[in-house]
Amino acid sequence: MTGRAPAVDRAAVRALLRRDLVAVRRSKAVVIPMLIVPVLLLVVLPLLIGLGARGAPAPDLTRFLDSLPGDLAAPIAGLPSHEQLVVLVLGYLLAPLFLIVPLMVSSVLAADAFAGEKERRTMETLLHLPVRDRDLFLAKLLGAFLPAVAISWLGFLAFAVVANTVAWPVLGRIFVPTPMWLVMILWVGPAVAALGLGVMVRVSARARTTQEANQLGGAVVLPLIFLAVGQSSGLLLVTLPVALGVGAGLWAIAVLLLGRGARRFTRDRLAASV
Amino acid sequence: MSPAIETHELCRSFAGVAAVDGLTLDARPGEVLALLGPNGAGKTTTVRLLDGVLRPDRGWSRVLGADPAVDGDAVRRRTGVLTEAAGLDDRLSGVENLVLPARVRGIDEATATRRAHELLGRLGVAALAERAVRGASTGERKRIALARALLHEPEVLFLDEPTSGLDPVAARDVVELLATLAGEHGRTVVLCTHHLAEAGRLAHRVAVLDRGRLLAFGRPADLAAELWPGVEADLDLGGAAAPATLAALRSVRGVLDVALTVDGARVRVEGRDVLPAVVAALVAVEVPVYGAVTRAPSLEDVYFALHSQAVPAVPPPAAGVPRAPSSPAEPRT
Repeated sequence: MTGRAPAVDRAAVRALLRRDLVAVRRSKAVVIPMLIVPVLLLVVLPLLIGLGARGAPAPDLTRFLDSLPGDLAAPIAGLPSHEQLVVLVLGYLLAPLFLIVPLMVSSVLAADAFAGEKERRTMETLLHLPVRDRDLFLAKLLGAFLPAVAISWLGFLAFAVVANTVAWPVLGRIFVPTPMWLVMILWVGPAVAALGLGVMVRVSARARTTQEANQLGGAVVLPLIFLAVGQSSGLLLVTLPVALGVGAGLWAIAVLLLGRGARRFTRDRLAASV
Repeated sequence: MSPAIETHELCRSFAGVAAVDGLTLDARPGEVLALLGPNGAGKTTTVRLLDGVLRPDRGWSRVLGADPAVDGDAVRRRTGVLTEAAGLDDRLSGVENLVLPARVRGIDEATATRRAHELLGRLGVAALAERAVRGASTGERKRIALARALLHEPEVLFLDEPTSGLDPVAARDVVELLATLAGEHGRTVVLCTHHLAEAGRLAHRVAVLDRGRLLAFGRPADLAAELWPGVEADLDLGGAAAPATLAALRSVRGVLDVALTVDGARVRVEGRDVLPAVVAALVAVEVPVYGAVTRAPSLEDVYFALHSQAVPAVPPPAAGVPRAPSSPAEPRT
């Protein structure tokens, strides 16, 4: 009796995943930026902003809140004036900045996993292993996606601790995660990680080195940074439904890119390029 | 006995340029087959085709009875490959570079680790077992990569330029190592190299490739016999032979060719039994003969003779090899 091959060779995927994770963990050039950015964005920045907001006299945010679209300002406008600044900054304005973390981590790891294999001349070794193209591709994707999501979530935990601690003297309660944060963490963040991955898979197919891939991929990271800056200046505040919609759109683009990447990820094509 | 490896009219091109062009050859179980040729001859592409990493444009191949283009994973489970670049991850230790791929092959962690330590010890790189391979020499990297290729005890071993980038001492050590390992467990070995001494030391048969085409295929001695019929002998006459002496040699029945050497002359005769008549002819004209030694053409002679012929290709092995130049001792081009 001959059994059909499983859809995914889990053992092979796990082994490849482990190989990539062990190697990445040893690489300072990869690990340091992956840790510094989340620490700065999710620990240091909220700590400084929170302390500043806590120490400042309560500003009059009425005009600012009135300028916000729809019912976006409602959860903040209903708060006592001395709580408004802290909640606005830590609870809302920083949320989109968080997206830089999954995007950056997945991009850096994807560049290492795809272009890096070419640069290190280790790709051919992988091609000679008894593993299907799609399992190899899946392992490479997971090797970038899972750490990106894990670091984002750990970063968010750290952020929640910092934000709630800093805001405690003002609020006297735990206020993070807000609904917006939960959408960012659980829906938009993973979508952004997948999007970064999808772009880097395409970019890495052309790049010969990790650096080249990162440079080409930077074209994707920069718009997100602008988006975050815009958001933090209050121009691009979005409602929850919009955030959910943006997440869905990002997922759709990511799936499209990854699907195309998977079709082009064949041994024959890879071997011809190494 | 069916061949371990068989190809028929195998073709593969890249951007319209043929990398492998109509390759037909075979390797018997337990045989060491050398793919011999300069850079760009198609050796690496052939290995990639045989291991199912590349798909052929035309033709077919069988490795251990399976078609690599169809059952690539089945083939790769039973083959080991030492790629030209060792392909080690600098961030991993010697053992990790072996064990992690072995896990993909389904070997359990404990077994893989035990075999990795054994092989690294046997190949003389035990010191790198537990430390990152960054900083290891090219020779050490080759050895670790060789250990990785052997860890799952493959039935077919592909060695792509195993000594490239090595200094002469390290290259000699690796060749000696391969000579020991090649014959173990009745393993079939395909050795890609442009080092003639390496092929001569290790291979039972050689396939000489040039720009993707097969120039010749067979045992070096058979190829030489087809290139240069008869037997060659160096005659030590105590000095360069005089024209009259050369004329005397040419007059002997069974002498095919005569060439001047520093010590005397080199003759090509139809067979060994002609040599006594050659010596007798020299004695008859009072030329002293201090020695007459038969000389087998080396693989190097064969290789350069084949490459000196600007023919595009030869027929498949069964049809023999192309016509030869007059002597293996002719200047190389």
